[in-house]
Amino acid sequence: MNRAARKRRSRRRSVVLALLVLVLLAAWAIMWRPAIDPQAQAPAFDAATVERGRNLAAVGTCAACHTVDPTRPFAGGRALATPFGTVYSTNITPDARTGIGGWSEAAFTRALREGVSRDGRLLYPAFPYDHYTRLAQDDIRAMYAYFMTRPALDAPAPPNDMRFPFGFRPLVAFWNILYLKREPWRPDPKQNAEWNRGAYLADVLSHCGACHTPRTKLGGTDFDRTLDGGEAEGWYVPALNAKSPSPVPWTREHLAAYLRTGIAPDHAAAGGPMQAVVENLRLADPKDVEAMATYIHSFLAQAPGRQARASQPGGMPAPQPDDPDLARMRTGYEVYAGACARCHDTGREETSGAALQLQKAVALYDPDPRSLVHIVRQGISPPDGEPARWMPAFGDILTHDQTTALVAYLRRYGAGQPQWEHLDDQVRKAEQQP
Amino acid sequence: MTTYHLRVNGRDHAVDTDPDTPLLYVLRNDLQMNGAKFGCGLGQCGACTVTMGGDAVMSCLVPVSVVGSRDVGTVEGLGTAGKPGMLQQAFIDEQAAQCGYCIAGMMMRAQSLLAKNPKPTDAEITKHMMPNLCRCGTHMRILRAVRRASNAMANQPAGAKA
Amino acid sequence: MTGGVASPGRRRLLAAGGSLTLAFAIGAMRPAWTQDETPLNKGKMPGSLEKEPWLDAWIRIDADNRVTVFTGKAELGQGIKTALLQVAAEELQLPPGRIQLVTADTARTPNEGYTAGSHSMQDSGTALRYAAAQVHGILAGMAAKRFDVVPATLTARDGAFQAADGRRVTYGELLAGRQLHVQADPAIKPRDPASHTVAGKTLARIDIPAKVTGGVAYVQDLRLPGMVHGRVVRPPAPGARLVEVDVAGVTRLPGVLKVVRDGRFLAVIADGEYRAVKAAAALARAARWEVQPTLPANADPAAVVRALPTQPTTILDRGTPGSAGRTLTASYTKPFQLHASIGPSCAVAQLVDKQYTVWTHSQGVYPLQGALAELLGVDKAAIRCIHTEGSGCYGHNAADDVAADAALLARAFPGRPVRVQWMREDEHGWEPFGPAMLTRVSATLDGLGKIANWQYDVWSPPHNTRPGKAGNLLAATHLEQPFVPDTPKPSPQPEGSGDRNAIPLYAIPNARVVHQFQPGAPLRTSALRSLGAYCNVFSIESFMDELAHAAGADPVAFRLRHLIDPRAVEVVRAAAKRFGWDNYRKTPRRGRGFAFARYKNLAAYCAIALEVEVARETGMVRVTRAVAAVDCGEVVNPDGVRNQIEGGIIQSSSWTLLERVRFDQQQVLTRDWAGYPILRFNQVPEKLEVELIDRPGQPFLGTGEASQGPTGAAIANAVFDACGLRLRDLPLDRARLRAGR
Repeated sequence: MNRAARKRRSRRRSVVLALLVLVLLAAWAIMWRPAIDPQAQAPAFDAATVERGRNLAAVGTCAACHTVDPTRPFAGGRALATPFGTVYSTNITPDARTGIGGWSEAAFTRALREGVSRDGRLLYPAFPYDHYTRLAQDDIRAMYAYFMTRPALDAPAPPNDMRFPFGFRPLVAFWNILYLKREPWRPDPKQNAEWNRGAYLADVLSHCGACHTPRTKLGGTDFDRTLDGGEAEGWYVPALNAKSPSPVPWTREHLAAYLRTGIAPDHAAAGGPMQAVVENLRLADPKDVEAMATYIHSFLAQAPGRQARASQPGGMPAPQPDDPDLARMRTGYEVYAGACARCHDTGREETSGAALQLQKAVALYDPDPRSLVHIVRQGISPPDGEPARWMPAFGDILTHDQTTALVAYLRRYGAGQPQWEHLDDQVRKAEQQP
Repeated sequence: MTTYHLRVNGRDHAVDTDPDTPLLYVLRNDLQMNGAKFGCGLGQCGACTVTMGGDAVMSCLVPVSVVGSRDVGTVEGLGTAGKPGMLQQAFIDEQAAQCGYCIAGMMMRAQSLLAKNPKPTDAEITKHMMPNLCRCGTHMRILRAVRRASNAMANQPAGAKA
Repeated sequence: MTGGVASPGRRRLLAAGGSLTLAFAIGAMRPAWTQDETPLNKGKMPGSLEKEPWLDAWIRIDADNRVTVFTGKAELGQGIKTALLQVAAEELQLPPGRIQLVTADTARTPNEGYTAGSHSMQDSGTALRYAAAQVHGILAGMAAKRFDVVPATLTARDGAFQAADGRRVTYGELLAGRQLHVQADPAIKPRDPASHTVAGKTLARIDIPAKVTGGVAYVQDLRLPGMVHGRVVRPPAPGARLVEVDVAGVTRLPGVLKVVRDGRFLAVIADGEYRAVKAAAALARAARWEVQPTLPANADPAAVVRALPTQPTTILDRGTPGSAGRTLTASYTKPFQLHASIGPSCAVAQLVDKQYTVWTHSQGVYPLQGALAELLGVDKAAIRCIHTEGSGCYGHNAADDVAADAALLARAFPGRPVRVQWMREDEHGWEPFGPAMLTRVSATLDGLGKIANWQYDVWSPPHNTRPGKAGNLLAATHLEQPFVPDTPKPSPQPEGSGDRNAIPLYAIPNARVVHQFQPGAPLRTSALRSLGAYCNVFSIESFMDELAHAAGADPVAFRLRHLIDPRAVEVVRAAAKRFGWDNYRKTPRRGRGFAFARYKNLAAYCAIALEVEVARETGMVRVTRAVAAVDCGEVVNPDGVRNQIEGGIIQSSSWTLLERVRFDQQQVLTRDWAGYPILRFNQVPEKLEVELIDRPGQPFLGTGEASQGPTGAAIANAVFDACGLRLRDLPLDRARLRAGR
C-alpha cells in the first residue's frame, strides 16, 4: 500500500475511533444521571396538602405495588414479573437508610417525571413514570407531602432478578428515548370538566393504559392501540374501548360501582391484579372515581352490543350429544355442575355478593384463557379483615385435565365462542404462573 | 347415582353417590368419618380441610367426581386415640383446643405444610394456616402445636410419618 | 328455675336402672345411706345443692364399683367436664379415669338451669365438691364400722378403703347396689386444699383425644339408625311473608321424603344429607316471598339504640351529684355482633311412641324441654333433652332454635331420627345477636386528680331471650299459629344483663348508674359472652384512661388510686409488672394500653396490659403482645383457666377490631365469613401470657367471660397511645382507623 493510502486508512481509523468515542460519550451522557444531594429534613406540610396527596396516592394506586404487608404500608417488596425479569418494589416511606428519607421535592419530582432515583440510578419502567411524567407539579407536591409524612419503616428492597442484559440499569435510558414523552398533559376542549378530570386521573395517575394498552416488544406503550387491551402479571387484560370483550355492555354506573367496590352487580367482579387497583380506588374521593368512570366509559360505550346467553338460573346447558369434543365437554360440564354451579348458577343466597352467572363473565370472551384459568385456580379474596367479595381457590382441587375441560366447556357453552387455540398448552402455561 | 372408588388414608372405598356431592359429605355420611367438619360449605373457614394428593383442600368444595385416584388424607389417618400420631400428640401436649371443632381441619392444614416443608419458620406456619378459622381463640396454642410437631419430626429418622 | 325434687321422669329412669333407693328407718339406728324425705337443711347449701340436695342425684356407685357423677352443666368447650371431674375425683379420692361424668340430660342429671354466666364452677363445681366430700365421709364411716376401726386409720385408694392390717373393701361393696339417698349437709368440710393431688393440677382435657383423632365428639357426629336429614328454608328477611310455594317439584327430587310447610316455616326432609341441601335450595327457589322493609334505615348503632323506648332503672345511687372540679363526658357504642359459632348449630330429634328425644347443644336442656313442650303441645315428661356437645356457642346462639326445628320435623316424620344442620348463612342471619349498645359517662376530677363524681348511663336491648317460652324459638314465630316471644326482662343486679359491670369497682364517693333497659330491638338479641360487660368495661376502662390523661396521671397509677379491694390491686400490679409497664419505651406506631375489671363485680378479677402496632394508612391494628393477670379464687385446672383467658382475649380482639353485623332496611347482610370477617392467624399477638393468682380454699370465681371487657378497652387505650386517636365506637376496624373517627 502506498503512503497516501496508509495515511488515508489511518485517518479513517482515527475518524472511526473518534466517532466511537463520540458515540460512547453520547451514550454515557444519555445514561448517566447525577445524584441529588440528600436533605437533612423534609419541610413541614399543612394537613390539607397531605390529605390531597393521600387521595392522589390512592388514585395512583401506589400501595398496589408498594404495600405488601398491610401492617407495613409503603414498605415495598412486591415482586412484579415482567418480560425483562422480576422487579421488586421499593420502600417509599421516609426512612433515611432504606426508603426515601432525605429525598428533596426535586428528587421526588425527578423520579416521577423521569424515572431517576435520588442517587442517579435509573428506575425500571415497571414503575410507570412514563405516565406520572405528565402530573401537574401541584399534585406531585401534594404526594410528596403525603409520603414524607408517613411513618418511616426499615425495609430494604429485595434485589431485582433481571434477565441479561437488563440488569444494567443505564440501558433504560434508551428505552426512555423511545417511550418517555415529556410533554405536559392537556385537557380536550371538546369534552366537559368531568371527562377531562377523569382523563387526567386515568391516564396520568391511575395509569390504566399501563395494563389496558398493548406494549411494544421493548415494553413501551403502543399509543396507536390505546386501550386495546394487553397483559399484566400473567393475566390477559381486556380492552376498554370498542374491542371490549364484555358480553354485557358496560354502563357508566356499573363501571363506577366496579371501580369503587370491586363489584358491578350481575356483571363483573374484580379479580387478579384489578383487586389491588380496586382496593386503592375505594379509598379515593368518590367524585374522582366517578370522573374516571365517565372518561373510560366514553370509550367502552363504543363497543357493539352483544347478546349474553340465557340468564336464568340453571341456564348452563349439558353438552350436545353431537359435540365433536364430547368426552372433554362432559368432563367440563361435570366439573361445572359439581364445583361451580352451587354458587354461579343455582342462586346462592345474597351474602357478600352472589356469584356471577358465567355467561356474563368477561374472562370467557377473552382472546385467550389465561385470566379464566387464573380466577378458577386463585379465586378472589377480600383484603385482610375487611368485608368483600370472595371466591374460593380451586387450584389444588382440579387437575390439569379437569381445568382444561372446564375452561373448554365454559368457552363453548357459556360464551358460545370458538374454542381457544392450543388450549392444553395455554392452560399449562397459566398453571405454571405463580 | 354413580360408584366412585376413593382412596382415603391409604384404604380403598367404593361409594355410591351423586357426582356433585362434595367430598365432605361423602367422608362424613358414606364413610362415617368425623374428622372433616361442616363449617360453612363455602370454602371460607377450613373446618372441612383434608389433604388430597398431599395438598390441603376444602372438602366442602370438592365434588366427589373430581377426586379420581388422588389420595385423600384425614385426621383419622394420622393416628388413633390410643396411638396418636406425632401431630396429634403435639396438639394433645399443647392442649390446643377449646371447643375443638376447628382442630381436625387445622391439623390437616398443618400436615400439608409439614409433609412438604418439615422445618418451617414461624412466619411460614402463620401464613400457611391463614385459610383456617378458629372462633374460640386457640390460635396461639395451634401455632405452638404445629411448631412442636415440626420439632418432633425433625428428631425422627427420615421417612417417619407425621 | 325450680329445684329440689327430681323430676318424675328421672325418678322412673333411676328405678329402671336397677339401683334400689332405700328410704326406711330402723328405729333410732338409721343406716347411714338413708334419710327420710323431709328437707333437712333449710339454710344455704353450697352451689347447686340448694336446688338439688339429694346426694344420689349427683353421685352413684354401682355394685361393681363403677362411679358415675352427674352434673346439670354442659361441656361447651370450656373444659368444664374435666374440671368437674377433677373436683369429684379429689373428694372421692379416685383417679379421674375411674369416674364417668354425665352432663346435662333431663332424664338423668340435676337441673342446674343454663350453663352460662361463668357459673359452672361456682354452682356445679361447688355442689360436687361438697357432695363428693360427704359421700366419701359416709363411705369411710361405713368401712370403719365394717372393720371396727377408726375412720382416720383407713386409706382410700382407687375406689377402695384399706385398713391398716390390709383388709380392703370397695365403695361398691359397701353400698352393694344401694344409692345414698341422703340430703347434703352444708356443714361438711371438703378436703384441705394443701392435700390436693388432683384438683388444682392441670389435668389433660378428657375430651381432646377424641377431637384430634376423629372420634365421635359433637352432636354433628351423631349417626343414629335410620337417621334422615332435614333442612329449613328461612324467609329471606325478618319481615318476609310467604306468598306461595310450589312444593310439587321439590317433592319429586331424588331422596326427598317430605316437604313441611306450616305458615312461614318451610322445610324438607331427605334420606341423604347433600340431597337435603339441594332440595332446600330448590325449595327456596320455588317459594315466592313478599318482603317488607322492617329494619331501621339508619344502621348506625347509636341511632338504632337511641330510637328505642326505654325502661330506666337506677342501679347505683351513692352520695350527691354536683362536685366541683373538671368534668369530662364521653359516649361509647357497640354494634350488633355475632356468636358466629364455627360449626353452625345442629340437633337430632326423634319421636317414638309419643316420646321425643332431642340431642342438642343447648346451654339449658331443662328450659329447652319446657319450651319444646309448649311448642309441641305436649307434657314435659314426653320430651327428653340430652346435651351433646356442639362447637363453641359463646352464649345463646341458634342451638335452641335448631332443636325446635328438629323437634317439629320429628313430629312431621315420626319414628326416624331427624338431623337438622343449619347452614352458615342461616347461622349468621338468624342467630340471636349480641345487641347494639350505647353508653354515656360523665365524671368530675377533684383538685387532687381523684374522681369525685360519676354518672353513667347504659342503653341496651335485651341480653336474654332464651327459651323458657316457646315464643323464643325461631321456628315457633314462623308457624301458621305463631307463638309470641316472651317479653324480655332485665336481669337484676348484681348479675345484670345490659348493665352487667356497669357499676365500676372503683371507690368513687358520689356515683349514679342508670340502666336504660330497652325491651325491644329491630333485630333479635340475646346473651353473647359477658353480656353487657364487654361494652360497659370497654366504656368505663376507656374513660378511666381519658380521665387519667386529663389528670396527667399514669393509667395504672390512676386506677390504683381508686381501688381498695386488695385482690383487685394485686391483679393490676401483677399485670403491669409482667408487662413491664413502668419501663415501657414507646416506639413509633406502637402504644400500650391497660384495663381492669372484676367480672360482674363478684366473679374473677382480670387485668390486661397489651401493646398494639397501628398502621393508619391501611387501618391495620395488631396486638403485638399481651399480659393478663387473673384471680379466680381457687384454681382447679390451671391450664383450663389459661385457655379460657387466652381464648377470651383473642376472641375479644376479634370483636373489637373487626366485627359488626350489617343490615339494610330489609335484611341482615352479613351472611358468611366474607361479609363478617373474624380474626385470622396473621392478627394474633406474637406473645400472650396469663399469670394466675391461685387462692386455694377460696370460693371458685367464674372466669370464662372475664377477659372480654378488659381486652376491648386495653386495645382502645393502646391505639390512643400509639397514634393519638381516641376511638369510642366499636369496632375499631380498618375503615375507622383510616378515617380517624
